[in-house]
Amino acid sequence: MSTTRKPWYRRFGTVLVYIALILLGLSMLMPFIWMLSTSLMTELEVYNFPPKFIPDTWRWENFIEAMTLQPFGRYFLNSAIISAVAVTGQLLFCSMAAYAFARVKFIGSDKIFAVYISTMMIPMIVWIIPAFLLVNTFGLMNSYLGLVGPWISNVWGIFLLRQFFLTIPKDLEDAARIDGASELRIFWTIILPLSKPALATLAIFSFMNAWKDFLWPLIVTNQTNMRTVEVGIANFSNVYSTDWPHQMAAAVIVLLPIIIFFVIAQKHFVRGITFSGMKG
Amino acid sequence: MKRTGLILALALLLAPTLFSQDNGGDEKIKLTVVNWAGIHEVPLTQQIVDEFMRRHPHIEVVFQPTPDAQYENKILTGLAAGEPPDVFLLDSKSIPSFNNKKVLLDLNPYVDSLGVDTTQWFSRVTDIAREDDALYSFPKGFTPLMVYYNKKLFDKEGVPYPTNDWTRDDYLRISRRLTKDLDGDGETDQYGTNFTNYFFNWIPWVWSAGGDVIGPDEKKASGYLNTETNRKTFQYLIDLRKKYDVAPDVGSWSQSGKTGIVRALFLNNKMAMIVDGHWRIPGMLDYMESGVLDLGVVGFPRGPDSGKVNVMYESGYCVPVIAPHKKEAVMLAAFMTGEYASRVRSQSRLELSAHIEVAHEMARTDKYGWEQKFLDEVEYCRQPWGSRIERFTEIEMILQDMIDEVILNDKPLDDMLDEYAVKVDDKLEHIRENASFEFKQIEQHTEVVEFLLGVTVVVAILLFILYRRAKGRDRAKTRFGFVFLAPSMIHLIFFLITPMVFSLYLSFHRWDIVVPDKPFVGFDNYIEMFNDPTFWNSIGNTFLYLLNVPVTMTISLAVALMMHKRLGGIGFLRTLYFLPSVTSFVAISLVWMWIYNPQYGLANYMLTVFGFPKLDWLNSTDTAMMSVIIFTVWLQIGYQMVIFLAGLQGIPDELYEVARIDGASPWKQFWRVTLPLLKPTTFFILVTSVISSFQIFTTIYVMTQGGPVGATDVFVYHIYDAAWNQLRMGYASAMAWFLFFIVLVFTGIQFKLVGKNVDYS
Repeated sequence: MSTTRKPWYRRFGTVLVYIALILLGLSMLMPFIWMLSTSLMTELEVYNFPPKFIPDTWRWENFIEAMTLQPFGRYFLNSAIISAVAVTGQLLFCSMAAYAFARVKFIGSDKIFAVYISTMMIPMIVWIIPAFLLVNTFGLMNSYLGLVGPWISNVWGIFLLRQFFLTIPKDLEDAARIDGASELRIFWTIILPLSKPALATLAIFSFMNAWKDFLWPLIVTNQTNMRTVEVGIANFSNVYSTDWPHQMAAAVIVLLPIIIFFVIAQKHFVRGITFSGMKG
Repeated sequence: MKRTGLILALALLLAPTLFSQDNGGDEKIKLTVVNWAGIHEVPLTQQIVDEFMRRHPHIEVVFQPTPDAQYENKILTGLAAGEPPDVFLLDSKSIPSFNNKKVLLDLNPYVDSLGVDTTQWFSRVTDIAREDDALYSFPKGFTPLMVYYNKKLFDKEGVPYPTNDWTRDDYLRISRRLTKDLDGDGETDQYGTNFTNYFFNWIPWVWSAGGDVIGPDEKKASGYLNTETNRKTFQYLIDLRKKYDVAPDVGSWSQSGKTGIVRALFLNNKMAMIVDGHWRIPGMLDYMESGVLDLGVVGFPRGPDSGKVNVMYESGYCVPVIAPHKKEAVMLAAFMTGEYASRVRSQSRLELSAHIEVAHEMARTDKYGWEQKFLDEVEYCRQPWGSRIERFTEIEMILQDMIDEVILNDKPLDDMLDEYAVKVDDKLEHIRENASFEFKQIEQHTEVVEFLLGVTVVVAILLFILYRRAKGRDRAKTRFGFVFLAPSMIHLIFFLITPMVFSLYLSFHRWDIVVPDKPFVGFDNYIEMFNDPTFWNSIGNTFLYLLNVPVTMTISLAVALMMHKRLGGIGFLRTLYFLPSVTSFVAISLVWMWIYNPQYGLANYMLTVFGFPKLDWLNSTDTAMMSVIIFTVWLQIGYQMVIFLAGLQGIPDELYEVARIDGASPWKQFWRVTLPLLKPTTFFILVTSVISSFQIFTTIYVMTQGGPVGATDVFVYHIYDAAWNQLRMGYASAMAWFLFFIVLVFTGIQFKLVGKNVDYS
């Protein structure tokens, strides 16, 4: 990629791309801005009419109050454990399954894959009760295993990685096989390193989904000390009213780990030199 | 069984706090109590529970506050597992269905033996949970509907404050006086009052005019809903919006509630009167103190013939029939509603205490005199329909649709009254038929474990057959494949396949979730489903919603292509686009409901700036689904962009270089290189978006509840309603399996058409 001396029309194109991206990006930012400004307001300001975006006095203490009105420290710990297990479990188990489907192609693997895909078609609100009954029967209520259960592996992730593994050229693998490499070795030293962008994508989504999950943690826990951040956020509203400033302050803090995780993970979107190097 | 689970659990995860619950040993009786207290009421409940434990040292009570958002789901799953909390708070609208299914313990036999004084509560309130001789809950608190009025606006116009003998004509007259165009720009900016389709809020208008929506035998609406009296009442209410324009267009009741738009207007002295319950008070007190607001409270206006009837919404503490320590649980329920507890709770000012003495005490100490106004209404209060008829929420929805038809779709009121009376009749009959069912009394039994074993055995046999079919080198391959699939397969069997097979079983049975008996009903669920026009409507809407897929994919691919360039600050832009996927959905949906607000929203503001006519967005049957789709597209762009980006990274630069040397234009490169090589990613996004579009639920649940008039009622919303609101898990499972079948066909077609040739070399 040469970066010097682009012709004028290409620079012009770059500017257009920037403008388009920034304009659309601003609309993406809007709810976030609202959330941030609400978290710094008094309730009266939230209900100002017409709505305003910049608070008169910035009430930073909303954040401290939001975190201390409920045991948010404990909620963070719980959510962190669940998300960590979810990311690790999905990266490992999904890539293994995806490898079996995309590269091993044993007899019947297509049929098994079809069964896997079909499980995505039953909506959560239907499977959640039987799954809960199982978890309950096995004595896993109020346990981390019960909480993280649905997130240890994920068909969506298997499908994603399978699609990605399919695009990796066969010749690399064949060459390794001629050199006598085992399947396990090919998986670990060729396929996985080449799939960093897809693995990073899966890591982001598995982290996010586990972190933001609400209904399942609520149903499999009875005790405050086993609840998660999303349940904590929901606690700020009830039928009668919503405590917007504190709820949004909590939501902002809860959002930070996902953003940090995203920023770190997206570095891996940029493919290493290995790929093109080996290709030649 | 518990043992196995324990070992399994320890083997899989070495977490120290795995079982934080088991620390028995002492002889104490353990009870759990659940309510939906908000964070400010949690300490008060805890104080009450602590006092109970102090008085009864042999009982240990664990208080489990549960977010209001999914409170019922939580109680229902507890009941389904046969392990409900020993004492739980129940809204009076849930009493009929829980009662008919014989879930609640009759507290009457314990009243005498435990010395519970039932005269300590308002008898009208206690009676809500009474049926024949049985009493199913001890009342905690209640509220009639009142009119809150803004004294500042009254003073400015010199309008005298309303008194308890005012009539609905006074209400209209005052509303018109106080509706003003303050800045003279031709647009109203101060409103007299508010009116939405909310049944909950308008039913006292109907009653105080001498009408009703259903006959006294609880069987028919025809002849009761479509009367001349009711026609006048509804016309009166609709005129507030359409003729006199004294009430703003704030969207459906749930949108106006969630966006807080009515509260915003009220707090900013832009609305003179609102109809609301006691729960409004805690949020007003600070503003009274600081002088932002100067409010008065007055009873509900009288009807045209000076009739006066108010409604009474109540909640109380119940004990499930299967509670192991019934006597102690009833003791706790009685204590939670007794004098001490009521007094502690009265600090929150959330509701009128059901305890007579405490309620009067509240009135004596209230410096604004509001509580007395509430007490004055008690004698006019009538039990709501919801506490008498099972699944009454569905009837409320039908009647709200009726209002929407007139207000939003300009249908003639007379026709609608007749048409919707028939709809209510049908629904009532359906509910009755469904409820008149004798369940066998059986022990709690979890079949799902047997299903788990069965599924595991079947899967093992199938895999073995596959393995036997493989020969020679394939054997090794197959063995390796199985090993690699093992973890995900075990997980899948436990969390998805077993529940799926179980739901197939349920679809041929009737299961009311809270009753262990699951009688076989053959194809009844499927037959009912195919005969239900609302079901077909929801399918149509779901297919319409699928339109979001191609739109989102096109935009997100374009965005991903732009993002793929290595420009400065692109990491920041990517994060920006991903924000909607991670931001709290509560915040997102709220902002969008504001944007879509017909009167105050940004969307219509933009339209007028560019000279287009205003739209009703979520509040019109024509544009509601389109609005939901626009929202979805916006929400999904970042999500799909991330996946497209990952896919783009997989395309080797060399191919572009070769293309460039061949003199291919960027446009050609896109068609010849990018698109073909991106096919696996595109295919993945297509398949998963179609599947998840078929399952659209949360957006609808939060933003429209399927309205207006069923315009956004989608498949899974229907399933949710059947399972969690109607407690018909068998019927919900039948629908889920029909959905499964449709999606399977769709996905199969996609695999056949697009999926086949995604192999590379």
